[in-house]
Amino acid sequence: MARVAVTAFGADRPGMVAGVTGVLMDHGGNLEDSAMTILGGHFAMMLLVEIPDDQPVEALEADLAAGVADLGLSVVVRPVADVGAGGDDENGTGSTEEPSTWSVSVHGADRPGIVHQVTALLAHHGANVVDLSTRVVASPMQAAYVLLLRITVGASADVEALVEELTALGATLGVEVHVRPDDADIL
Amino acid sequence: MIRPVLFLPHPVLGRPCERVDVIDDVARALAADLLDTMRASAHSVGVAAPQIGVSLRAFCLDVSGHPKARSSHGEVVLLNPELVEATAAPAEIGREGCMSVPDLTGDVARVPSMVLRGLTPEGEERELEMDAFEARAAQHELDHLDGLLFLDRLVSAERVFRRRSYR
Repeated sequence: MARVAVTAFGADRPGMVAGVTGVLMDHGGNLEDSAMTILGGHFAMMLLVEIPDDQPVEALEADLAAGVADLGLSVVVRPVADVGAGGDDENGTGSTEEPSTWSVSVHGADRPGIVHQVTALLAHHGANVVDLSTRVVASPMQAAYVLLLRITVGASADVEALVEELTALGATLGVEVHVRPDDADIL
Repeated sequence: MIRPVLFLPHPVLGRPCERVDVIDDVARALAADLLDTMRASAHSVGVAAPQIGVSLRAFCLDVSGHPKARSSHGEVVLLNPELVEATAAPAEIGREGCMSVPDLTGDVARVPSMVLRGLTPEGEERELEMDAFEARAAQHELDHLDGLLFLDRLVSAERVFRRRSYR
């Protein structure tokens, strides 16, 4: 079996998931992790799919494109390299130490560069982004931008310094930055 | 007086509020404005002073008739409100919105019951036991006084939702 990544995007309408997964099923595909959401009225799909070795990626992509053309979806299929055991490892820092997880919220007046500057600072500190979503808020007065992240940082990282620099960056960008430990109750 | 509600990204919403030092006519006018502003908005269950541009620790709430409410003290307006006791029970996740973030809602974990203490506009101390939706509303309003929005408390980054139909 081989693993492929399927991404699809198009103006939202009913039947998109059924259309894409129908073609995948016809090709003997088995759905693994996936995430799908609506972005600005467009439906965005990201799926990991296990397919039999005798199914060429190109043929699958062509069949998908033809099968969902009437849904207005553009589809891309790419082979995915195996990342090895621990595929759900959210550390990503290469360290064997237990990382800590943090929630970061950033919001303020919309302006270019918020996501880049925040994530560049995180990367500089070796923090790994494991979840990120952004929303443009159509406030009556002025558009606002909301950036929400979940990050992991290595056990030896200096979180205090990271928070200090994030706060300073927020002041420069004119946005609020809040960092808190991701202490969701785990049953 | 009904006051205009401020929206994200107004800087007052991100600023911790000062305590109300003196219970005088100014503080009583603020309390009245909070209530007037809440009553003027059909779906509002609470308004905090920073939402009407006043960086002082005061809010009002009223969850009467809300289907998720258990405790309900009717219209409550408190100056210098504090959470004095939170139950040890695990936090409960619920969907929250905010007049200052008109476009979005999100899932937030709150303690399910608590004791809230503060001063009435007449300067009397009041202690209220709250649970369920009223406790959630009070914690949401308390956060405003610390410059925090529900967006800063989401259970995870993807648990934020558009309130209106998609554009």
